[in-house]
Amino acid sequence: MTAAAAARFAGTDRKKRRTSAAGRRRRLAPYVFVLPFVTIFLAFSVYPLFYTARLSFTNWRGTGAAEWVGWDNYAYLLTNPAFWGSLGNSAVLWLLIVPAQMVLGVLVAVLLNSAKLKLRGLYRVAFIVPFVTPLVAVAQIWVVLFDQRHGAVNAVLGLLGLPDIGWLTTGAWAKPTLALLFLWKTTGFIVIILLSGLQSINGSIYEAADIDGASKIRQLWSITVPLLRRTIMFAVVLQTLAVFQMFAEPFVVTQGGPYNSTTTAGYYLYNHITRADLGTGAANSFLLVILVMVLSLGFVRMLRAKD
Amino acid sequence: MLRHHLRRRTLALAAATAAGGLGLTACGPSITSDKDEGGGTDALRAPDTDAPSGEITIWDRSGDLFEVFEGVIDDFNAVYPDIKVNHVAVDIDAKLQNTLITGADVPDGVFLDDAKISGYTDYLWNLGDVLQPYLGDMAQQKIDVNTVDGAIYGVPYDLNPGLLFYNATALEAAGVDASAIETYDDLLEAARRYKEAVPEAGPIHLEQSAFLGQLQLEMYASQLGTSIADADGELRLDSPEYRRILEFLDTVRAEGLGTRAEYLTPTDIAEMDNGNQVFYPWAIWFSFAPQQMLDQTSGDWRAMELPAWDAGGARSGAMGGSSFVLPKDGANADLAWLFYEFLMFDEVGYTAVWGPNPTYPTGLNTSIPAYEPAADPTAPLFEPVEALGGQDLWSVATEAGAQIPGGAPIPAWWDGAVDYLGNDVQRMLDGDMTPEEVIASATEQIQTNLVDRQ
Repeated sequence: MTAAAAARFAGTDRKKRRTSAAGRRRRLAPYVFVLPFVTIFLAFSVYPLFYTARLSFTNWRGTGAAEWVGWDNYAYLLTNPAFWGSLGNSAVLWLLIVPAQMVLGVLVAVLLNSAKLKLRGLYRVAFIVPFVTPLVAVAQIWVVLFDQRHGAVNAVLGLLGLPDIGWLTTGAWAKPTLALLFLWKTTGFIVIILLSGLQSINGSIYEAADIDGASKIRQLWSITVPLLRRTIMFAVVLQTLAVFQMFAEPFVVTQGGPYNSTTTAGYYLYNHITRADLGTGAANSFLLVILVMVLSLGFVRMLRAKD
Repeated sequence: MLRHHLRRRTLALAAATAAGGLGLTACGPSITSDKDEGGGTDALRAPDTDAPSGEITIWDRSGDLFEVFEGVIDDFNAVYPDIKVNHVAVDIDAKLQNTLITGADVPDGVFLDDAKISGYTDYLWNLGDVLQPYLGDMAQQKIDVNTVDGAIYGVPYDLNPGLLFYNATALEAAGVDASAIETYDDLLEAARRYKEAVPEAGPIHLEQSAFLGQLQLEMYASQLGTSIADADGELRLDSPEYRRILEFLDTVRAEGLGTRAEYLTPTDIAEMDNGNQVFYPWAIWFSFAPQQMLDQTSGDWRAMELPAWDAGGARSGAMGGSSFVLPKDGANADLAWLFYEFLMFDEVGYTAVWGPNPTYPTGLNTSIPAYEPAADPTAPLFEPVEALGGQDLWSVATEAGAQIPGGAPIPAWWDGAVDYLGNDVQRMLDGDMTPEEVIASATEQIQTNLVDRQ
């Protein structure tokens, strides 16, 4: 090898090394960029998930060593009427809340989206106020309003010659009363979501419908609702998650009573945790996750099917 | 090809995540295949120096009681100048469990409901040795609720004797002599007579909250020297005592002698203020109601010992109560013991708690000390209560407290029993179950869902 060839070779080698070092850096760069996220994700999502899975097969009560009990916690829950009762309560609340909230939400959003409506900004704020009001304060007002003997609601019923209702003290009425609280508190939030969906609908579609002589109701049914379907489904999934995880409302208003009739799936889970039955609580949370996941996937599939 | 490659990478990533996650779970509690023996028996020793020094962290609930304890710290430091007290207001129910499990920033002393102590014993010092000099002068009920497997885990704080609160003005107007009430039969008779005079009345309070209803039921049971389970955790619901209590409550319901209301909700307050509800068998802390909640009848109410189940029987039972526990992971639990010893057993300490103080100018009158020398009927710590017509509540409560029988421990699963016993009692008060059905149903469900799963 001549000196020139050797120098050329050395230069190529250096270049190759530089190129391969740069290539390595390029290949590594994405991993370095995602490393902070992955670390946090592992610590705060993956680890708790596996930790909970492990706990769900033990009878750990927060003290001492945990005893491995296999599938006992799952078997206990799946054969326990109280567990199914809590799911049933959540299902009934879902039926009372979500359909009504979507209908109400769409109507209010359409109204608030109308250019003819004066003081739109004021109404929008008014609708979101309940959502940002602390639940504990609202709950106290609810307890006073719906008090059986001395509440304002029964006082009005009395003026109409109707009998008192045990809104918060009878199994039949406690769920609708709680649903009403949830509706009042969260419908404003749903309205905001639907309003953003409405504002993405091209106005020319309505102009064309006007020219074709379609009535406002026809436009609502044939244009607004179909074009809002994705937004509505998003809201339905959100509220399904919220209803099945509902905890604060029964906790502050009814404490799950009367007779566990307002013990929601989330509240039932909370009871296991606070009573230091952590193994059963972990199993309960897994069953709840599976249920909510199945429901959410079902809604997403419904959405896709129409697309 | 690319899809296969991506799928392989996805699978590899998922496997790596799963492996990492599984590896991380090793950081949790150790798992055994046998029942853990548990039962921490480490006995706390008091500091063996004449000039103890260091820093202690004390957790109390936020609110009035926090302010009261805060006010005692200066007195404590006058005796122990080298112990610095970090007094912290904490949501104990929300934080204690996690703190004890993780072992991070564990306080040296914690204010805790008696009903919760047995659930934490593995993490707490056994205080049997340090409490020994005081046990002979302690309310037996408080020793029982703090004792698990022979070890004592709490420094008893307060005694909450059950009393019969009554609207003296309304009863007098109806011609009912409250002073003649000595037994529960007398109470029923007085309620019947009041209802004759005031037909719309439901004279006796029937609690509508499942939790508080169970707590009240346990007050009646404590009066009879029993509780939901014995010291070995054996259920005692199927007993003549519980049968008798439930039958009494069912009689009140069946004869229309009760007002169904949740403690101090609008209905409850209104029914007291309008004179429909005139008998309130409850713990001493009900005295808060005439002082703060009742508009129309504040000043009309009085307190007396509970009626006895049999003539000459005990005239009170315990309803609620709290103690101080000392976690083993606390850095200076021995110094925290000195703080609680001063607070509960030193005259300066307990006088500062129950006597007139900046938070309670006439004294703390919603409980009495569990330490008998401090609960002397002739040496009142708090003053007569204006809202009870100037009555000397101290002497009534301390005399009642002295009669509370022992033998009523609280099992670790007490709260969980509310789902069964508490709810079934409510069903009975709504007329949907008989006392026998309550006993059978609650016994079976508590045994299956709580006792057998410990």
